[in-house]
Amino acid sequence: MVGIKDLGVGIGWRSEIDLTVERLPGVDFVEVVAENLHIGHLPESVTLLLERGVPVLPHAVSLSLGGADPVDLHRVEHLGAVAEAVGAPMVSDHVCFVRAGGLDSGHLMPVPRTRDALDVLVANVELAQANLPVPLALENVAALLEWPDGELSEGQFLAELVERTDCWLLVDVANLYANARNIGTDPERFLDEIPLERLAYVHVAGGEQHGDIYHDTHAHAVLPEVLEVLDELCSRVAPPGVLLERDDNYPSDTEIASELAAIRAVVDKHRG
Amino acid sequence: MAEIVNENELLVARERLAAQQAELLKALLANGPAPAGFDEQRLGVERRALLSKRRGIVRMLGPAVADELGDRFRPLFDAYAVENPRRAGSRAREDAAAFAEWCRARGELPEKRKARWKFWQSN
Repeated sequence: MVGIKDLGVGIGWRSEIDLTVERLPGVDFVEVVAENLHIGHLPESVTLLLERGVPVLPHAVSLSLGGADPVDLHRVEHLGAVAEAVGAPMVSDHVCFVRAGGLDSGHLMPVPRTRDALDVLVANVELAQANLPVPLALENVAALLEWPDGELSEGQFLAELVERTDCWLLVDVANLYANARNIGTDPERFLDEIPLERLAYVHVAGGEQHGDIYHDTHAHAVLPEVLEVLDELCSRVAPPGVLLERDDNYPSDTEIASELAAIRAVVDKHRG
Repeated sequence: MAEIVNENELLVARERLAAQQAELLKALLANGPAPAGFDEQRLGVERRALLSKRRGIVRMLGPAVADELGDRFRPLFDAYAVENPRRAGSRAREDAAAFAEWCRARGELPEKRKARWKFWQSN
């Protein structure tokens, strides 16, 4: 795909670390949370990055494409408008549902891996795609619980989603690690099953182990085990980009820089 | 290649999925009964994780309220949250404002004082 190749190593732009993102060396691209941006009032820091030629990719968290409710086209339109405002080659959201039964979970909830859920997801994704100006990538989420009666593995579920909608995949290796710890997903099997030629880019994030549960907090350091999953992915395919997500409890510039360097080291190891 | 799903089948699938997802969110957010087939302990983990995330957002958006409540913030917020699950389409700021209002109504926070005109503010 034109425009998405060789994004390099990036970080999620957040207003709390705007200056950090601007001054860190080796930030090849950034992501912005689409819901937090207002068209016509882009943050100065984002404008500055755009002027420098840093690609800015809108990432959405509220489309609820795995939800049973019809897609809220206002949210899709906003995402598309953000993409146009920042000249993005691609946008993304998650394979999840956020709202159901009139309630809002405030989070990215896993969908049941059933034929019903897949059919609904495919229909929702197709409608979103038809209303977006650029291609859509969808991300695997971290689950704390497992739905009963799953008919497909997570990898099979995503593979079929790609086959039926021609969407791209945003693989979050921290979420994959979380699911391995929490619901028994096999990361190698997952990577075997998904169409890696449709990989848009990769997310890496930190988290914390509490008893027998791994929490994908985006507020702690990236675990070496998560970088091992990235290493496993890179042994199969050269990812077009890898992006660090940090959403809370922001560390010093030095710590963020060293996490980006650790990510780059894994990617470069496989480039020879 | 992918099967073509007809509109009726899709509608039925939507209805089944809607019921499953609504039941799960009701259990997690509004003290609803545990849906069949889920691990009860994990439902508890998820319930606490969602509550903690929501509490953290309300604390961030209304630090003055959290400070004023001190140690009472957490138990009060948790009681408020289960009585008032977030409605689809609502905003986090509305949640923070509704929590402060809920506290005032229960006498946990003083009544809102009338804003005094300050010469350095335009309104």
